[in-house]
Amino acid sequence: MSLIVVGVNHKTAPVEIRERLAFNSKESIREGLKYLINKLGVNEALIFSTCNRVEIYVYTSISCNIESVPENGRALEELIKNFLSDFHKIDQREFEKYLYIHKDRQAVEHLFKVASSLDSMIIGEPQITGQVKEAYEIALSEKTTSLILNYLMNRALFTAKRVRKETRIGENPVSVSYAAVGLIKKVFDDLSKKSVLLVGAGEMAELAIRHLIGSGIKEIYVTNRTLQRAEELASLFNGKATAFEKLKENLIKTDIVICSTGAPHYVIDEKMLKEVMFLRKYKPIFLIDISVPRNIDPACDNLDNVYLYNIDDLQDVVDSNILERRKEADKALEIVYEETDKFFQWLESLNSVPVIVSLRNKAEHIRQEELEKFKGKFKDLSPDILNSIDYLTQSIINKIMHEPTVALKNNCDMKETLILAARRLFGLDNEEE
Amino acid sequence: MGTIFFELALTLYFAGFLLSLAGIIRKKQDLDKAVLILSLSGFVLHSIYLLLRYIKAGQAPIFSMHEANSFFAWSILLISFFIYFTNKVKIINFNIILSFSFMFVSAFFPRNIPVLKAELKNFWIDIHALMAVFGIALFSLAFIFSILYLIQERAVKAKKFGGLESIIPSLEILDKLNYRLIFWGFPIYSIALIVGLVKYLSLLGFLWDPKEIWSFLTWIVYLSIFYLRVKGDWRKKKAAYLTIFAFLLMIVGFFGINLLTESFHKPL
Repeated sequence: MSLIVVGVNHKTAPVEIRERLAFNSKESIREGLKYLINKLGVNEALIFSTCNRVEIYVYTSISCNIESVPENGRALEELIKNFLSDFHKIDQREFEKYLYIHKDRQAVEHLFKVASSLDSMIIGEPQITGQVKEAYEIALSEKTTSLILNYLMNRALFTAKRVRKETRIGENPVSVSYAAVGLIKKVFDDLSKKSVLLVGAGEMAELAIRHLIGSGIKEIYVTNRTLQRAEELASLFNGKATAFEKLKENLIKTDIVICSTGAPHYVIDEKMLKEVMFLRKYKPIFLIDISVPRNIDPACDNLDNVYLYNIDDLQDVVDSNILERRKEADKALEIVYEETDKFFQWLESLNSVPVIVSLRNKAEHIRQEELEKFKGKFKDLSPDILNSIDYLTQSIINKIMHEPTVALKNNCDMKETLILAARRLFGLDNEEE
Repeated sequence: MGTIFFELALTLYFAGFLLSLAGIIRKKQDLDKAVLILSLSGFVLHSIYLLLRYIKAGQAPIFSMHEANSFFAWSILLISFFIYFTNKVKIINFNIILSFSFMFVSAFFPRNIPVLKAELKNFWIDIHALMAVFGIALFSLAFIFSILYLIQERAVKAKKFGGLESIIPSLEILDKLNYRLIFWGFPIYSIALIVGLVKYLSLLGFLWDPKEIWSFLTWIVYLSIFYLRVKGDWRKKKAAYLTIFAFLLMIVGFFGINLLTESFHKPL
């Protein structure tokens, strides 16, 4: 078989190349797929394009084996390169050196790694699996995948699922704002009953608030030096704007504080927080200080039931999570190799010789069985007649088996489909078990 | 006489124990469902065992070493399931370890039905013993949750992760459970002591039994925890430390008394 993937990703190619090779819409993917099938005449094709990678998967049964017929293999990758250059109107020499090309086993392994998010910029990020699925759905709707790629894609998605389930690769958040929400959940149980106070405004604070809203938080207060800005922000998340002068009162009634003002000094100091803690009866408070320079006195962290994280603390958590994910990636690779083996076992079963042999064996087995029964019923038949009956049954079987055998041996487009059909129609798989 | 139910329950607890240990060591929660199913089915068989024993003996299955440990294991699981199904807190994996340990200890003691002094064959004595052990089970879970609280709090404060805290529930829920366990445990333990005191006095007279004295001391400690918690002065970390202290005090006392003295409270 010849399965090949030609592509670029964030590791091999700069963004200028990736964006020029990208298929930016479903429509352009559809066109690309049509081009591959109709103009290049490959059997099956799939295009996977995200902001970090562009990959073309192609299967063709024209050559039996790339290794044994290297010209064909080379021809195929040249065809795909031409396609990319032609389709995107970009000179082949410009992008050629950034391409990676994987064939057969490497191609399968590569796809499984990509789908399991082992090849991602942020290892273990979950979106990629969905993107793979989407790419597959487009190809399905265009009917550009068939037996091999369908099975391959299903196995890829299955592998991704296994990796997610059996390793801890996606468990710890690796973005600062997600990490913050994860930490808050270690302290508070039900966020829908908690309130958050946003002090100042900043992009990261906004992001963290959005994640908190996603986790169920409803009560949101926003405060800023200028009330107008606070009101603007508050309206963004359905929150309430409060005066900056009331900071202390607000600290008493909120559970989570995200601080990101441009102030060059501490907005919340230890003395103030000590009073606040007394007034809130030492109910835990989670403070996130993402401002630089810091707006919350680090000494606040010494108070009981105060949990203070600044931007560096959050970054440390993220870094150690990334490290953790790298470790888990090794376990995930084991799964990828295992699933690749399984895929090739399946592929093996598509080979025509064993099918023909077992088909013939089955027929012969049936013939022998029926002959024995016959001989048991009619004991007084002469050997001459028995020989003729033996010959007769043999030639019937040979006649019946002739067409299927020729069809299975023939290297046509539908070879694999026929083999699977034969196995199913004659119950050959059950026989072997 | 239904020993088979005990053996089966023990086996299921053991399986649950192994799986939860595997989960804790790997710091994963993927086996929690299996642990829940194993311990729940063990629990059902265990309940049948206790019930059969109660019916056969005509006294609570709590007076021998075997019975006391097994009832304690049963109580811990009963409370754990209650917490799991009402609060959806994943803590069965920690509790099954405790439960199995006591069940295991219980398996080593003779299974015969203990012969009580005639005057102790009394409904109120049963109530006294059952409630005392059940109260202690509530306290021991409060103890476990306090330890978990401290592990989680330490991780969040020290900003160091990747340890056990990843499978420990949030501080808020641990503190809440801690409070509730003491809130229920203390009255139950108190009633047990009062019933015991009244009945023993009327049946046997005051004995100055070391366990009685120790129970009273522990009761005072729990009274202060109960008071401080309900009033709201000692919460969170302080409450966790206090709960751990009280439990250790009680357990050390009881083990010491069982081993060293000739208390008539010593299980048969």
